[in-house]
Amino acid sequence: MNLRTTATARPETPRPLEVEGVTVRFAGLTALDDVSFTVAPGSVHAVIGPNGAGKSTCFNVLSGLYRPVSGTVRYGEHLLTGLAPHRIAALGVARTFQNIVTTEGTVGDNLMLGRHALTRAGFVSSALHLPHAVREQRAHLARAREIAGIVGLERHFDQPVALLSYGDRKRVEMARALCLEPRVLLLDEPVAGMNTTERTAAVEVIRTVREQLGLSIVLVEHDMGLVMRLADEVTVLDFGRRIAHGTPDEVRQDPEVLRAYLGTGADTPGKEAA
Amino acid sequence: MSDAAKPLLRPAAVLVPLLVLCALPLYLESYWLRIGLFSMAAAIGAVGLTLLSGTAGQLSMGHSFFLAVGAYGYVYFSGDPGPGLPPVIAMVLAVLLAGAAGGVFSPVAGRVKGMYLGIATLALVFIGHHLMLTMDGVTGGFNGRSVPPMEIGGLVLDAGQDDLTVLGVPFGAEERLWYFGLALLAFTWFTARGLLRGRPGRALVALRDSETAASVMGVPVARYRSSAFVVSSMYAGLAGVLLALSFRRVVPDYFGLVLSIDYLAMIVIGGLGSVAGAVAGAFFVTALPLVMAKYADQLPLVAAPGSPDGSLGPTEASRYLYGAAIVVILLWAPDGLSGLARRLRPRSRPQPSAPPPDTGLAEPVSTSAVPVATVKEHTP
Repeated sequence: MNLRTTATARPETPRPLEVEGVTVRFAGLTALDDVSFTVAPGSVHAVIGPNGAGKSTCFNVLSGLYRPVSGTVRYGEHLLTGLAPHRIAALGVARTFQNIVTTEGTVGDNLMLGRHALTRAGFVSSALHLPHAVREQRAHLARAREIAGIVGLERHFDQPVALLSYGDRKRVEMARALCLEPRVLLLDEPVAGMNTTERTAAVEVIRTVREQLGLSIVLVEHDMGLVMRLADEVTVLDFGRRIAHGTPDEVRQDPEVLRAYLGTGADTPGKEAA
Repeated sequence: MSDAAKPLLRPAAVLVPLLVLCALPLYLESYWLRIGLFSMAAAIGAVGLTLLSGTAGQLSMGHSFFLAVGAYGYVYFSGDPGPGLPPVIAMVLAVLLAGAAGGVFSPVAGRVKGMYLGIATLALVFIGHHLMLTMDGVTGGFNGRSVPPMEIGGLVLDAGQDDLTVLGVPFGAEERLWYFGLALLAFTWFTARGLLRGRPGRALVALRDSETAASVMGVPVARYRSSAFVVSSMYAGLAGVLLALSFRRVVPDYFGLVLSIDYLAMIVIGGLGSVAGAVAGAFFVTALPLVMAKYADQLPLVAAPGSPDGSLGPTEASRYLYGAAIVVILLWAPDGLSGLARRLRPRSRPQPSAPPPDTGLAEPVSTSAVPVATVKEHTP
């Protein structure tokens, strides 16, 4: 099934996502200060740091919700900085939110919202139930069901999102992002607030989608255990600055990171589950 | 979503009420038919408003302006000071004109959200009223204009000279317009359902619930906001045409702020964002004062129209009643009549993929049936 071709000029394989010298200021507060990193195609890249380090700001820059005062974000040959969020989405960059943001309706409705950039039916063709709009809806609904299966939501597909548990609603968000058929997936604290079984399940899902769909994943997370298990590369932020960068093992040993997380004189960073 | 899941109930649920509605002109007096016509017109307008305010979350106080554009547009395009086009073409042009008027306002409608749009659209009502009074050549000024009858394929929908009788019932203006109104309402219902269940409807719901989520999911925010406004004004334009045809005269004072608020009341009573609810709310708000006027002499506490000051007339009484209805609904049924109906028949729709009773022990077996999913279900 090739439902992806409807999207315009979207790279089929992941390209490197390059963040270069990004600075964001809010009325005198520097939320991000000259931050640079590159997400290698097909890798899992974690952005970590204490509360207020600028991780979510970084995500908001990547998805186009904030415009940096300086610096650029490039995805392959596309310059993302300055693009509206819906254009970035159309290029295949999808995200989830730290606090779940679902819309009214069933799980299916939410997932179909994720197909928005890949579908065409407009006001007139939907209003008149034109055959191509009906066909399109049917085909994409089938794909949405498939994706619900990948994250383990197939049983809940026709249920209202409002009735689902917290963990399931987090999965709805992830599935909705996957419905964009993204090449880059930005996950903002995917396991925050979950219990241990839900966490294990979520990690499995992230592994699965990475293997099956071959996409790059950028991950903001407080759960160090999860970051160390999943990430290929880690960027550490503190007070908006990049203080360390490298493989999980390198970062774990970095004295700057230890200081940022635990203050001076500590030996190992423990679990930072907020 | 799962249209295939309800095999026989659906056609019956549509056909039976439709047959009843088609048979009504054979049994009802023209007074009741006129109430029905006003209600149908209001229903079309209310569906338009519920798309904008209910689904997209954009408050509009300017709905009466677009009703006026539709009504006056039809009168002008088909009438004597005006090009005098065939009524059907005049109707289409009037709807397009209302859409264009919405489009002119769309730079505002695309950027301003929620409550603030409500305030911005207030201006439209006053501008509209002023234009209706001053553009004498088009609108007929304070006294308004009489409405040329609708004509379809040589059949004039008016109390004409041709003495049409169906099954022994003389078919006058109301009887003929009734079927025209029904057709327009059916068209409105069909298209609005298509919009709401399709891609645009989902995008509008997302805009209402979270602008951020909508935009990162690929929805162009400003374009969808203004599109919702244009579509809503086109439905209002269509409603305006049917209103004009039912009243047979359009006057400026009808299209005031109170009318806009009546439409808001309709969609709140019916349940925001629901097509069926908007139709039900429109019938409630439109028909109630007229029915009460009819039975004013039999109702306790309500005086006949034209009674001395200090007594409660039917119009006031019905306003109290629907004011009370709004309060009752907001307190006990915030999702309106449509939500109430849904709750009264909670299990009538089969759940397509209802899970088998989960003992918790059968879990490994059930998950192994699904090859892709590597995640076990954890019901809370």
